[in-house]
Amino acid sequence: MKTIRYAAAAVALMGGVYGCSNFLSADKAVSNPNQPTVASVNQLLVAIEANIFGQQEGPAEMLICEWMQQCAGTAGRFVEVQGAYTINNNSFDGSFNSIYTAGGLLAIKDAETRADAVPDQQYKGVLEVLEAMNMLFGADNWGDIPYSQAITNSTPTFDPQLQIYDNLLTLLDQAITDLNGSGSGPGQYDLVYNGDKVKWTQAAHMLKARIYLHLAEVRGAASYASARTEAGLGISSPANDFKAVHSEATSERNMWYQFQLTSFGQDLVAGARLVGIMQAQNDPRLADYFGKNSNGGFGGYDVATQKNVGEPSPIANSNRNVATFAQPIITYDERELIIAETAFKMGDAVTAAAALNTVRAEYGKAPIAAPTLNDIMTEKYIALFQNMESWNDYKRTCLPTLTPALGRTVVPGRIPYGYTELQTNPNAEVDPGPTLVTGRNANDPNAC
Amino acid sequence: MRSRSYLLAVAALFILPATALAQTTISGRVISEDGAAVSDVAVTIPELGLGTVTRDDGRYSISVPGARALGQTVTIAARRIGYRAQNTRVTLNPGTVTTDITMATNPMQLGEVIVTGAGTTSTVERLGNVRNVVSPELIRKANEPNLVQALAGKAPNVLVQQTAGDPGANSRIQIRGLRTINGNTEPLFIIDGVPVSNYTFSTTNFNPVDAGSTSGVGGQDNGGEWEGTSAPNRMIDVNSDDIENVEILKGAAAAAIYGARAANGVILITTKHGGAGATKYQLRSSYSNDEITRHYPLQTEWSLGRFNASALPCEDIGKGTCTRSWGPQIPSGTPVYDHASEAFRNGHIADNSLTVSGGNERTTFFLSGSGLRNQGVFVGPNNYFDRATVRLNATHQLTDALSLGGNFSYADTRGHFTQRGNNVNGLLLGLLRTPPEFNNLPYLDPVSGLHRSYRMQNPDATTAGASRGFNNPFYTLYQELNQQQAARSFGNVTAEYRAASWLRFNWSLGADYTNDERLEGCPAECSDVAAGGRITEGKIINYQIDHSLSGNATWSLSDNVGFTFTAGQNLNARNYRTFSVVGRTLIAPTPFSVLNTLTRDPPSDYQTEVHNSSGFGQLQVDLIKQLYLTGALRDDCSTTFGKANRCAMFPKASAAWTFTNAYKPPGLTFGKLRFSYGEAGNEPQPYLSSVTFSGTNLVGGIAQGTGFTPTQSGRGGLFFTFTKPATSLKPERTKETEGGFDIGFLGEKADLSATWYLSKTSDVILITPIAPSSGYSSEAKNAGKLQNSGTELQLNLRPITRPNWSWDVGAGWAANKSKVDTLIGAQFLYDPSAFTGNVFMIGQPLGVIRGEGWVRCGISPDDAVPGISLATFCGGKPKGTLFIDDGTHCYEVGMPCEDTQLRILANPNPKWTGNVHSTFRVGKFAFSGLVDIKKGGAMWNGTKGALWSYGTHKDTQNRAVCTGPLNSDCTGNEHAFGDANWYPGPVVGPGAGTKIPIGENWYRSSNLAACPFTGIDEPCIEDAGYVKLRELSVAYSFTQEWVSRSLGMSSIDFRVSGRNLKTWTKYTGLDPETTTGQSYERVGGADYFNLPLTRSVVFTFTLNR
Repeated sequence: MKTIRYAAAAVALMGGVYGCSNFLSADKAVSNPNQPTVASVNQLLVAIEANIFGQQEGPAEMLICEWMQQCAGTAGRFVEVQGAYTINNNSFDGSFNSIYTAGGLLAIKDAETRADAVPDQQYKGVLEVLEAMNMLFGADNWGDIPYSQAITNSTPTFDPQLQIYDNLLTLLDQAITDLNGSGSGPGQYDLVYNGDKVKWTQAAHMLKARIYLHLAEVRGAASYASARTEAGLGISSPANDFKAVHSEATSERNMWYQFQLTSFGQDLVAGARLVGIMQAQNDPRLADYFGKNSNGGFGGYDVATQKNVGEPSPIANSNRNVATFAQPIITYDERELIIAETAFKMGDAVTAAAALNTVRAEYGKAPIAAPTLNDIMTEKYIALFQNMESWNDYKRTCLPTLTPALGRTVVPGRIPYGYTELQTNPNAEVDPGPTLVTGRNANDPNAC
Repeated sequence: MRSRSYLLAVAALFILPATALAQTTISGRVISEDGAAVSDVAVTIPELGLGTVTRDDGRYSISVPGARALGQTVTIAARRIGYRAQNTRVTLNPGTVTTDITMATNPMQLGEVIVTGAGTTSTVERLGNVRNVVSPELIRKANEPNLVQALAGKAPNVLVQQTAGDPGANSRIQIRGLRTINGNTEPLFIIDGVPVSNYTFSTTNFNPVDAGSTSGVGGQDNGGEWEGTSAPNRMIDVNSDDIENVEILKGAAAAAIYGARAANGVILITTKHGGAGATKYQLRSSYSNDEITRHYPLQTEWSLGRFNASALPCEDIGKGTCTRSWGPQIPSGTPVYDHASEAFRNGHIADNSLTVSGGNERTTFFLSGSGLRNQGVFVGPNNYFDRATVRLNATHQLTDALSLGGNFSYADTRGHFTQRGNNVNGLLLGLLRTPPEFNNLPYLDPVSGLHRSYRMQNPDATTAGASRGFNNPFYTLYQELNQQQAARSFGNVTAEYRAASWLRFNWSLGADYTNDERLEGCPAECSDVAAGGRITEGKIINYQIDHSLSGNATWSLSDNVGFTFTAGQNLNARNYRTFSVVGRTLIAPTPFSVLNTLTRDPPSDYQTEVHNSSGFGQLQVDLIKQLYLTGALRDDCSTTFGKANRCAMFPKASAAWTFTNAYKPPGLTFGKLRFSYGEAGNEPQPYLSSVTFSGTNLVGGIAQGTGFTPTQSGRGGLFFTFTKPATSLKPERTKETEGGFDIGFLGEKADLSATWYLSKTSDVILITPIAPSSGYSSEAKNAGKLQNSGTELQLNLRPITRPNWSWDVGAGWAANKSKVDTLIGAQFLYDPSAFTGNVFMIGQPLGVIRGEGWVRCGISPDDAVPGISLATFCGGKPKGTLFIDDGTHCYEVGMPCEDTQLRILANPNPKWTGNVHSTFRVGKFAFSGLVDIKKGGAMWNGTKGALWSYGTHKDTQNRAVCTGPLNSDCTGNEHAFGDANWYPGPVVGPGAGTKIPIGENWYRSSNLAACPFTGIDEPCIEDAGYVKLRELSVAYSFTQEWVSRSLGMSSIDFRVSGRNLKTWTKYTGLDPETTTGQSYERVGGADYFNLPLTRSVVFTFTLNR
């Protein structure tokens, strides 16, 4: 009898403990204690801007710097190989994904919804400009990409590049309206402009000017005129430049600088084309861009001949190569040179010369009385060192002339899609063109 | 007060004399059939709950108190593993009763109780699964400080690999193949009924910025395993002298009673307990001499430089010509240095342990202590592993029905390790790339006192704190500090209550706690991302509490029908936490503390907590003493499952039929057919179902060591994590069917066990890539299906079993075939743990290596060579014929072409594995050996590819002399592809048969050879099969009279043994067993500057009393 009582008690105990429900809903066991489960709109904004900096300084831009022969790759490893156009769908998967994931469109759309809920139009305006920058990064480099269905659909269709450009022009108009609307904006959480709506408005006009220029090859003169107008409303002084922000903290340092610290850093050197141009013009920015070679001078590697022109200068030891260097992304110089190019195209040689010489004067270079388009684009080529826009300029103007890498016939016009998107999205478009590097985007039908 | 004492005294007067008067002492000697004394036999009187254990001379003695010795007749039961249980009837008359017992051997261990986990037991006949047991002698003989490594070659399809020869290095264990893609790959370890942790954590994972990988599942980076040191797996905290028995439950059918954590099998470890009788002592002392098994083949003729021009002077790591050994021939008379050997020395393991055990009828104890010091084979002060352990196991019988027990163990381990792998601050990367003429010593410049490396040969003050490109190996060995210090305690308290003769309850409360501290210090002139000095400090705290209660009832309807029912519950709570911080740029040269650095990375703090709550029941039915049926069900609830699926059921059923009890075919002494089916799971990683934001690793950089966080300039940013939250995750589920037979024949001189199994794993959790344009790049889904199937054979022969002369030999053979059946959303997925391109691809074995190959007929697409239709050449040629170009389509004449389509190049899984072991005894001598065999299984030898490019590999000693990158720039060493000594095999194409010079043009410039850089993987794939002489030993046991008479010992054993004495392999690298990804690696198959393994000669003395 006693035995059975003990047994019954034991069974009851077993059942009781097994059924204990709190045990399976303990806080740290069911919700992740390591990462926040909520984020404020300000926190998202910081990540969105950091993501933009990453796009503009990351692997894609290093590639473009090489393709534009402003930089060059040596040492036989991936830097050199990619510089000679050997890339595949794996190469820039992460760069492609950054348009959408993490601090990309997902976060931007989420933040915009929250700005609407407040409502804070100025905040929304800032986010819309960032959305345009983010999507422009995608459309310029990859062409047709998901936009209208992105984020909301699990397998979005790809929108035509030209349609995206038009959508972004509309978005930027809305942004400019919103920036002048109600609300207090992001203030100090905006790393770039500290919430200054005037500067954001100027940046929005600059982006519009860029888009019109990117459309010029297919839409012609009207695009130049629009770009001229927008540039006129663009960044009004170097103090208003849109620049990436960095600190000494390990993972907040300038990416070009970070790359120089790796074992691959020395593989990236000066491109002979840019060094040659700057030496010919005695451009004082040479020491900003490149370190001196062991002869105390500057040289570069020429991918077209696979030869050194002088001993190549490293990227390290340049004035820019510091952890906190604020990488210029959209600048006053660019605006002046857009004015110069568009004025030139519209037959206004006086305005073109004035704008070009404004920039030349900044760097102590003698004015050019009657500049050619080559003079203007070459000046812009110098100004846009380590800036993706230099590739867009080249695709449109083919200036300054570049000889493709040895054994290649054409400078690539786009970056192949990321393999993750290709593998997972049945609506993904195939890369256009006969090979990964000779395909072209819709805005750029003509190779140089 | 006084009156109570008085009463007690009176009571004592009555009780004591009564006891003294009627005591019975039963004593005697237990011998085997051949007349030899049998020690360690448990001699018990089950009716009275009394017992003892025989001593080395076989003698035993049991005292029965007079109050209980009433002249009745009781059973004396004698039991020992390896002998048939023997029952004798004895009448308890006062005085001394002498009962000698003779025991017959029981090689097949019939009738012996087997622990099958979670409070269930069985016997050999009843077991529906193949049994794999590892005896303590086998573990002892392995001479491995790491218990997991000691299991190597001990059971079919239990694959154990040592990942490095560093002291304390982790070992990888996998049973019957891989049953998951992203989940845990290791079996569940249970010690004395309590689950314990066997985690391995690479300290480099504390530094995600430099480890550069965000592929880790569950929030932790895993790139660190490919570089950094080789950390211990935590089963190293167990002193192998404490082990009584290891049962390996292979597969889901055997392990289903452990439910959601058992898909990879279970290792059940039982530690030793004391027995009643005289206290026994054992002192064991061993000392080993270890050396590396192989020295890397390096060239000794060619100097630093490029295109046959000297690189000197080399004072600038930016100077590319100073990296490789393609310079001029070293003039005779110029000294060259033996880089293959210079960094190594003889290592030693001194291992001492003392155990004391004993007890009386009611109380037993086992007490042990051990100290191990392993001095590693790499020169310098920073290569060792020390371990001290203590253990106390005790039981006390409180009443005849209730006994209490406790096991307690504490281990303190400390080690200094060596950086390795894909790491410019690692040992072998810099060492093996050093040109032969550069003397790595002294490693500090005699003038400046700074780190000198072959790329910066005479450093001066201007380069203090700058990168050296690659570390001088001696700087790595003498100046870096990579330290681990762990304290671990684990154990349990138990109670057993025999409520009735047929009903028993067991309760256990167990705990396992580890505090594991790490420090890695790279001094100021370390290379690359550690330049200026880098300190990584971190701490891992891992603990779990396990509560279990089970009841066990047995009853018989008749002689022919019996039941055993077990029911129980289990609660398990596991906490894991890591803290770390990385500091950069040392202020003063020492101390290696983050406080002594200028800048700090964001600190890391990561924790997981998992709760499991389970209930289970098992019913065994015994029919007509020959058919045994078992059915069990476990219900597991876990916080790792999605909210919608918080609990999951795991059933099992098995049947065993001892058919020889019904009909004994001639020649068979025993025969059993067995069949079982079971399901077991693998838990999801914690928190995959929760929506989260992250503040780290926003943007992967251009290269290793670059990256971005969203926290910028003092502003905290957060972004959406890349993985979409999954709210309905279930555990991965493996359904396994197993069948086989066990037979004894030749009058028990032989037994054979054969097993076939098929396991199908479904609901495999895939971190599936999803369209990034949807906002997330991956999602955890129960989406994969994969399977493993295999055969296991074990044959044991005992040809000679004479008293003074015996010989036994055993052989095991096992094959496992795996296949990926389904993946959702992808044709293949990359193995997150693999250093090279291992993939999980539909229809392929798990983890095949996918990479770049040369253009080959029948393998490459028709247009693989631009401008050529391959079909026009390949007609009539065998599949795999190598295409050789004439230089107009690909690279240069006489060379193969790169196939731009990545393809499956090799299967790293072994075709089969096996082992042969044998013991031969003559008198007091015993000779034994163990050979471990792995047939097939490919390895990507990136070390070789890198050293080809660097021109230091022995293969590059015969070289064409090149003054430029092209064939026309080179002279000498001409070969045509397809020739007998140069990639033999059929070739085709316009350049086939063209002899070309082979030198820097091929190994470095062509991008067709050097696999880890821009080259092609195919030439680096090698067969990594091996035959290893794991153990060889000779032992002598002194049991003569003089031993006890003059030394007071019952026996003294002396053993000389060899460990890993010889490896036969076609593999050209240091060892085919090592892995770059360490024990975390799922499939293996990559060698990138892995550390060498060691061979040892070990001397062991054991004193018994």
